[in-house]
Amino acid sequence: MGLLILRRLVATIPVLLLVTAGVFALIHLTPGDPIDAMMAESVDDSVKRELRQTLGLDRPLHLQYATWMGRLLRGDLGRSIRNQEPVIENVARRIKPSLQLAGLAMAISLLVATPIGILSAARRNSTLDRFGTSFALFGICMPNFLIALLLIFLFGVTLRWLPISGYVDPMEELWDGLRSLALPAITLGLALAAVITRTLRSSMLEALSEDYIRTARAKGLSDGAVIRRHALKNALIPVVTVLGLQLGTLIGGAVITEYVFALPGVGRLVVDAVFARDYPLVQGVVLLIAVGFILSNLMVDLLYGWIDPRIRHR
Amino acid sequence: MAARQSDATHSESRRDFLRLAALAGASSALVPGAAGRAWAQETPKKGGTLRVGFYIEAATMDPHLSGSKIDRQVYHNIYEPLVVLDANLGIKPGLAESWQQPDPKTVVFKLRRGVKFHDGTDFNAEAVKFNFNRMKTEAKSVRKGEVASIDTVDVVDAYTVRLNLKRPDAALLATLTDRAGMMVSPKTAQERGPELERNAKGAGTGPFVFVEWVKDDHLLIRRNDNYWNKQGGPYLEQIRYRPIPDDTVKLQSLQAGEIQVMDYVQPRDVAAVKADKNVVVLDVPSLADFAYQLNHTRPPFDNKALRQAVAYSLDLEQIVKGVWLNVGVPANGPIPPTSWAYDRSIPFMKRDLAKVKAKLAEGGKAGGFTFTMTTNNIPINVQEAEVIQAQLAEAGITMKIKLVDSATLISDGNGKNFEMISYQWSGRPDPDGNTYQFYKTTPGTSLNWSGISNPQIDALLDKSRETSSQAERKKLFSQLVRILQEELPMIFIVHPIEPKAFSPRVQGYDPIPDGMMRFKDVWLK
Repeated sequence: MGLLILRRLVATIPVLLLVTAGVFALIHLTPGDPIDAMMAESVDDSVKRELRQTLGLDRPLHLQYATWMGRLLRGDLGRSIRNQEPVIENVARRIKPSLQLAGLAMAISLLVATPIGILSAARRNSTLDRFGTSFALFGICMPNFLIALLLIFLFGVTLRWLPISGYVDPMEELWDGLRSLALPAITLGLALAAVITRTLRSSMLEALSEDYIRTARAKGLSDGAVIRRHALKNALIPVVTVLGLQLGTLIGGAVITEYVFALPGVGRLVVDAVFARDYPLVQGVVLLIAVGFILSNLMVDLLYGWIDPRIRHR
Repeated sequence: MAARQSDATHSESRRDFLRLAALAGASSALVPGAAGRAWAQETPKKGGTLRVGFYIEAATMDPHLSGSKIDRQVYHNIYEPLVVLDANLGIKPGLAESWQQPDPKTVVFKLRRGVKFHDGTDFNAEAVKFNFNRMKTEAKSVRKGEVASIDTVDVVDAYTVRLNLKRPDAALLATLTDRAGMMVSPKTAQERGPELERNAKGAGTGPFVFVEWVKDDHLLIRRNDNYWNKQGGPYLEQIRYRPIPDDTVKLQSLQAGEIQVMDYVQPRDVAAVKADKNVVVLDVPSLADFAYQLNHTRPPFDNKALRQAVAYSLDLEQIVKGVWLNVGVPANGPIPPTSWAYDRSIPFMKRDLAKVKAKLAEGGKAGGFTFTMTTNNIPINVQEAEVIQAQLAEAGITMKIKLVDSATLISDGNGKNFEMISYQWSGRPDPDGNTYQFYKTTPGTSLNWSGISNPQIDALLDKSRETSSQAERKKLFSQLVRILQEELPMIFIVHPIEPKAFSPRVQGYDPIPDGMMRFKDVWLK
């Protein structure tokens, strides 16, 4: 197991190198300039020139890349041009709401999708299945921002049950924190639930048509036991794959949801940094998001082994 | 014929101005501040937290390094400038009790006694000297251009300072009503260094003290119980600012009572919000001018006739009505109707397709021509670009639209990498702030993106800085606006109104056309 993890981690090095080169090239090739963006109102050219020199932005690109990589190898992601704080501190501040939101959204999606997916497959072509399919289609088709605005209108403005926007840390104030994350988590959770429902339904249908299910039924096991003990575990692999991929997206890519609900997450951090052309911040955050993706994929691979012993022994 | 036409446009222009005035007047009857004044017997209550929604996060807490409008909204409650603006953009004493100008190149300020910074140190002449020196020398100072006319600062006595100017600067006092006049505690600035950008504890003298700033979440300030001015407020216990980037969500937060003040209502939402009894909307006429800069340094707009052809193609009334939903007035130039220098007798440029035809022929493009407009990729700008595109097409001119984000827009502007480019200026109290840096011949980078270099304009701009009489300056600015309409470094579109929305509980708010929300005398019912 340890060797597997090590092998996988070593294999990520070229990926990370590609990511650093890609993000560096992309953000530097994007038109716009961090100093111009920061000092839009200043007409003083010499101030801008001085600042560019101080920040090393006047040097050739390959030298800037080399400097950044050199720092990176020493574990230093650099400092934000805009607020001069270390990139890692900027991310540290933002990662907590993002992780909490992602966790809560996943929990909601699993709570909703598991029963619907299983029942849709077990009662194929029934009214319940049609409801499940409609729910999944609805969830997949509805854009995030629209679900968000509808939820805000219903639960925030009309019923006034939940706060409309803002963030309270649930680790400090549990109840208020959960309330502040409820609407964004439902927004993300519903869309994810739709995908999981579809995936679970089709993989359950496949599992239910296998010979071992017929054997289990022939042994006289109840429907519930067949599904729980035999079908579900075998149907989980595609679901775990989807969840693993979505975890990375939820942490770094929930930009629209974070914008609408004014949540201080990583997605908003990186978008704001792109708008400000805050090169070190964009590079650092994208790199960390890439690492997050790689780790969540690794986790998925390890989970495969746990779910399916055949993979573990291979 | 020409005279009649001129009269007609004149009356149109007046009507629009009056409409703006009426709009502002009508809504002020509804404003919390006006209501507070009308019921003078209602005694302001101390206490409570005012929750304010902004469209973006503040950038820095150091007024000398700030290049963001939203920062100023916070500063005007924790810092104080030497002089302040009144509702008619007149200059009133602030931290300076009085001032004199013994000659055009000297300004002497008598400072208020008994004022203390929030860190307990005295505000005095040494502090003023420190602040101006900091603005002039600090590497990242964005104020250098604004205080460029100040040569040296002398401490005459503990509460008197003398500014020795390099050249006469009639706009200086107005400049000192904002960040360039804001005084930061020398002790805090020196001790805290760059950290001041994130933590302004102890730094100001204002009615509220900085408490904390949790980035992207909230910024909290608290009442200064030792505030020097014992008249009126501060009443509020604290003010909590929150960035809510989505306009719809911000509005819903106000309607649901999560916030009580919102800094700006989008034109598209104004009608709906005005119909909501739980929200009070105040139309604050702004100092802004929204325009398009035309690049004089390269084709096609190095050709004056073609610039004029574009200007005569546009129907500003239609743009203001259709895109801005009348939350603004058509612009006749860079100076807004709120300014003392605004000249109502100058009409905004009217659509005239016969003139377009003549100008196209004069410019050697009788069959029309094609150019590209660069503009911000935000909904109202895109809509405006599309309307302009359609109006130009009717006049035989083809316009392509290039949508960019604001960082690209600024770089394209600074690098003169455009043909026509959107420019939205929030405005300054003195007309100099809306004109000089845009039209004065400047080599290198400047806000003169059009690259206009006209000796007559240069002379007028310089003279307006040297002339102290407001009436004389107004005449100079009128001349300038007429030349600008002829030379067209910019095509002026609209002077927007900046509607702000409040919960009916908010009382005592007095709007000033710079759009900054000063909460000293505000209280919660």
